[in-house]
Amino acid sequence: MAPPAKAITSPVPDAWYPTLAVVMLAIGLVLTASFFIYEATSSKRNSSLAKELTTGGVASVFLGFGSLFLLLSAGVYV
Amino acid sequence: MEISRFGLLVFTIAILASPAISDLVLSKVDRRIYLTSQIVRISSSLKVENGGPEMVSEVLLAFPELQAKKLAYLMATQHEGKGKAKNSAAALPVEVASPKDMPPALTFYSVSLPKGLAEGDSFTFDVLAVYTHALQPIPEQITQADIQLVVYQESAYYLSPYVVKVQSLSIKLPDSRIESYTKLENTKIHGSEIKYGPYENLPAFSYSPIVVHFESNEPFAVAQELVREIEVSHWGNVQVTEHYKLVHGGARSKGEFSRLDFQARPNLRGASAFRYLVANLPPRAHSVYYRDEIGNISTSHLWGDSKKTELLIEPRYPMFGGWKTAFTVGYGLPLQDFLYKLEGKRFLNITFSSPMVELIIDTLIVKVVLPEGSSDISVSAPFPVKQWQEAKISHLDIDGRPVVVLEKTNVVPEHNQYFQVYYKFNKLSMLREPLMLISGFFFLFVACIVYMHADISISKSSASYLAKQQWEEVQGAIQQVQNIISRCLTTHDKLEASLRDLSRTGDVQACKAARKAADGLLKELSKELKPLLTFLHSSPSAAQILPKVEELVAKERELQEKVMAKHSTVVDGYEKKSGARDIENRVALQQQKLTALRQEVDDLLEFIDDI
Repeated sequence: MAPPAKAITSPVPDAWYPTLAVVMLAIGLVLTASFFIYEATSSKRNSSLAKELTTGGVASVFLGFGSLFLLLSAGVYV
Repeated sequence: MEISRFGLLVFTIAILASPAISDLVLSKVDRRIYLTSQIVRISSSLKVENGGPEMVSEVLLAFPELQAKKLAYLMATQHEGKGKAKNSAAALPVEVASPKDMPPALTFYSVSLPKGLAEGDSFTFDVLAVYTHALQPIPEQITQADIQLVVYQESAYYLSPYVVKVQSLSIKLPDSRIESYTKLENTKIHGSEIKYGPYENLPAFSYSPIVVHFESNEPFAVAQELVREIEVSHWGNVQVTEHYKLVHGGARSKGEFSRLDFQARPNLRGASAFRYLVANLPPRAHSVYYRDEIGNISTSHLWGDSKKTELLIEPRYPMFGGWKTAFTVGYGLPLQDFLYKLEGKRFLNITFSSPMVELIIDTLIVKVVLPEGSSDISVSAPFPVKQWQEAKISHLDIDGRPVVVLEKTNVVPEHNQYFQVYYKFNKLSMLREPLMLISGFFFLFVACIVYMHADISISKSSASYLAKQQWEEVQGAIQQVQNIISRCLTTHDKLEASLRDLSRTGDVQACKAARKAADGLLKELSKELKPLLTFLHSSPSAAQILPKVEELVAKERELQEKVMAKHSTVVDGYEKKSGARDIENRVALQQQKLTALRQEVDDLLEFIDDI
């Protein structure tokens, strides 16, 4: 091929996928756990919506990327 | 019969046809026909000479109609000396031509010469023609024990619209076992090679049919249909999936099949069958699989080195004539070997055809699945293909991935050349998939929040509902009380810490400041506590828990006093410059009480927490 053509690589090296999946899913699950503990323990009146939303949001970011890397490391290239 | 009739037809045409169209003369033609596999390859070397005054820049190649139908691949290259590498030979453009005043039973291709030939000039070039299904099995049906015999028809003379001065033909067979062959003058046989010629000074359109009937037990593997799906993922993979519908294209098998005979003497009982196929996959291929509708087929072997990956697959049964099988081969390839960026566009550069060795493909469909969000798709293929676009819904897609479909019939291994698919892609589109996953999880959390916050009881006035609501209020108040108490306890801890600092640094002022801050904070907290306690007093559903809460508050207050007392004592001691041991003795009793009280408060907190 023409020499100026540059090879395209994935944004994250493939070898990191399993590690990233484990780490991000672990963080995500811990945050999910804290979210549900908060939901179950705080009474309706005292619970703060902002806190719930931020915990849920951060947890879903970690779970989302974690499950993406899990899929990629399992060979399901989305 | 059919053969001789065809020969006669061409011969008549040759007589009727007008003489040569131009003054070109083929001064030397060497043809070599390779019948060593099911694919017939004719490699000819032609030396053209211009005998007339006009410039000539095109040379016509003629093919009888029957052959033209079977022609799969035609390539002309400039003839380089024997010493030079074959790869350096430049390909000459070849096009279908329909010159006037030519017999209609012939198909013509014209080769454009790199520069025009003036009078007396000569030029040498090679032509490679590849034919499929050109070997006809005779007998058409054989048993397991029979060998496979096939027939090949050609002309001993090179069929050309030009006068041929000197020509020779050699036919290379897979085996020296020849059933029969046409004997003409100057026919020689050397082992598995038959030579015709040299023949000299033959007019245009000379034709002399020859027939070779010989043994060929080479694998006649024909893929009636092959669907190749190449899926590009920018996350680092090019996934290739190939669906084969394979048939043994040789003499049909008749009679019964004995597995025992086949197993015991495979060379005698099943010589025409083939057991395995070899595929040369690109290097660094990974996750290779070989399966069919039933499931995984375990009879496969894989070798790999830095240059190639070799896959050997055995179908579920040995393939005899006419037998069919269908299977799927899939493998992943690293993205950086096949995907490139050029002037803002991305392009995939990958081989077109199947990696299988010596396989004829009747219909090849190549589907290139690009990532969602690709646009401006264009294909550049080294030969004409039928192409259209469709969409495919796969993992985490909204409106489907764009698919470029290329279709080509009559494909031989020579077609396994690189082709390019150009497209535009915005890097941000890669975030689509993770964003979908994130929003999915986020909706789950939001649903939980909504469920927890929404009041979904039907009867808003029933006693149980009211009681529940009151109880929730009480719970809220108690939680707040707990919160305040635990804040008080942290303040106590801070005071203790300030005492420790004092014993280390002797800074009385800092300790006093800490005391002041703690006093203020505790006062505020007790103020906050008051309305909560009054609410709990007034609420009937809090009656049960109230004594415990009150006890907790009382104990905490006691604890607070004791802490303050201890703090004052110690600070006093320091101000009076008493010895450390002395102060410790004085505080010891208080400390005991403090620990006991703290324990009680903690127990109470835990008890209330459990409700």
